[in-house]
Amino acid sequence: MELGGLGWIFTVNLIIWTGLFIFLLRIERRIAGLEAGGKGR
Amino acid sequence: MPSPASNWLASARAVFTKDWRCELRSRYALNAIGLFAVTTLVVTSAALGPAGTNSSLAINVLPAMLWLILLFAAAAGLPRSFVHEEESHTAIALRLAAPPSTLFVGKLAFGVSLLLGIEALVAPLYLGVMSLEVASPGLLVIALVAGGYGLAAGSVLIAALASQARGRSTLFSVLAFPVLMPLLLLAIELTRNAVAGDAAGPALPQLLLYDASVTIAGLMLFPAVWNP
Amino acid sequence: MTRTISLGLRGALWLVMSACIWGAFFYAWSDPAFVGQSSRILFFHVPMAWTSFVAFFAAAVWAGRYLWGGRQMRHDRAAATAVECGVLFGVLATITGSLWARIEWGAYWNWDPRQTSIVVVLLFYGAYLALRSAMADREVRARISSVYALIALVVTPFFYFIVPRITESLHPEPVLNAERTLDVDPRMFQVLLASALAYTVLFFWLHNLRARSQALIDALEDDPS
Repeated sequence: MELGGLGWIFTVNLIIWTGLFIFLLRIERRIAGLEAGGKGR
Repeated sequence: MPSPASNWLASARAVFTKDWRCELRSRYALNAIGLFAVTTLVVTSAALGPAGTNSSLAINVLPAMLWLILLFAAAAGLPRSFVHEEESHTAIALRLAAPPSTLFVGKLAFGVSLLLGIEALVAPLYLGVMSLEVASPGLLVIALVAGGYGLAAGSVLIAALASQARGRSTLFSVLAFPVLMPLLLLAIELTRNAVAGDAAGPALPQLLLYDASVTIAGLMLFPAVWNP
Repeated sequence: MTRTISLGLRGALWLVMSACIWGAFFYAWSDPAFVGQSSRILFFHVPMAWTSFVAFFAAAVWAGRYLWGGRQMRHDRAAATAVECGVLFGVLATITGSLWARIEWGAYWNWDPRQTSIVVVLLFYGAYLALRSAMADREVRARISSVYALIALVVTPFFYFIVPRITESLHPEPVLNAERTLDVDPRMFQVLLASALAYTVLFFWLHNLRARSQALIDALEDDPS
């Protein structure tokens, strides 16, 4: 794959977006856990 | 029995006269604004000389400079109007004595009259020192009055917000700059048109619209600022 | 059950956003009026600017609901979070815009009206965040900052009239303008619309997460046991 070509940029973008997406899903699970586990825990 | 409208007016007038009486006793804002305006005037004049004789400077630079002097003068004096109520613990008494809308109108009238008074002093001095010839003096007066009103109204509203927070004086400039920026751009444009002898153009209706919007926003929002 | 639906929604967001990224580079056409492939940044820049506008507007709506809707803390938290997200998207829009400006106009920054307006708007909301941090009492902070968020709504529209008069803009026309309803390549428009939708949904998700974690922090401060 040509470095800096359209395919390369697309792949990098997709990896960044998927990483962000998984990160947000994990945060959401932690928040839901804290909300369920009683205030202050 | 007096009608509610005359009661309301009397209350606003009471706030206005009380502020002026306090001001004349301490002369804090008058001294701060007046000295600030004169100092900056001296500095700009010493740096630029009689710049009004150069027509490109006269049109492009001097109107902006005049409004910057007025902006900083307003920022030096007007926030005081609310801060001193908090500092001398008179805010609680005022909350009991006057409905919030009359308080806002009274403070606004005080701020506007103070700033217009300062303008009446600074603007002729500025024109003289810079030897600036104004092609349409009528338009300049309109620009000063409409711009001064908006400057005072915006400053009074922001001062009420800033007086509730820590680090009031620094915070005031941070809060006021984005609010006052459209007003300053319009007032500078109008002043420039007055100096150049052009027609008022769209800047005048927009400036009046700004004045009206800030006044209405202040009347609607001030009760929320003032009453806990 | 609800968990399946919410996971499904998130999965849909992932799919749509990924499809937009693919569409931006392979499905849509690169506008030959601009240098090289630089027009493709449009599919990210425009939705970011749009989202920051949505966020600031939502912040004003939540501020109004706080002031006149029973003074509920969750509305103030929602307003503050919306401002934070709006600043984030606004900064991203500014960065993508100035990268494009470097390629197309030759300089990262040249005080184009759009650049001037975004700077002042960001300063406005930066001042909002500074104001919040200067007040310790939660009720006072909510009240005062809600007022400031509403003042922003009154004052910022003026830039729309003023700034274009002062300097001429080189910024490309908005895609949907008043007279010509749609003069853009249909494929470009499809990707742009989908991308704006995906970014808006992403904003509401981010906003929801941030507001919920802030609610947890507030609850912890009230009851640190």
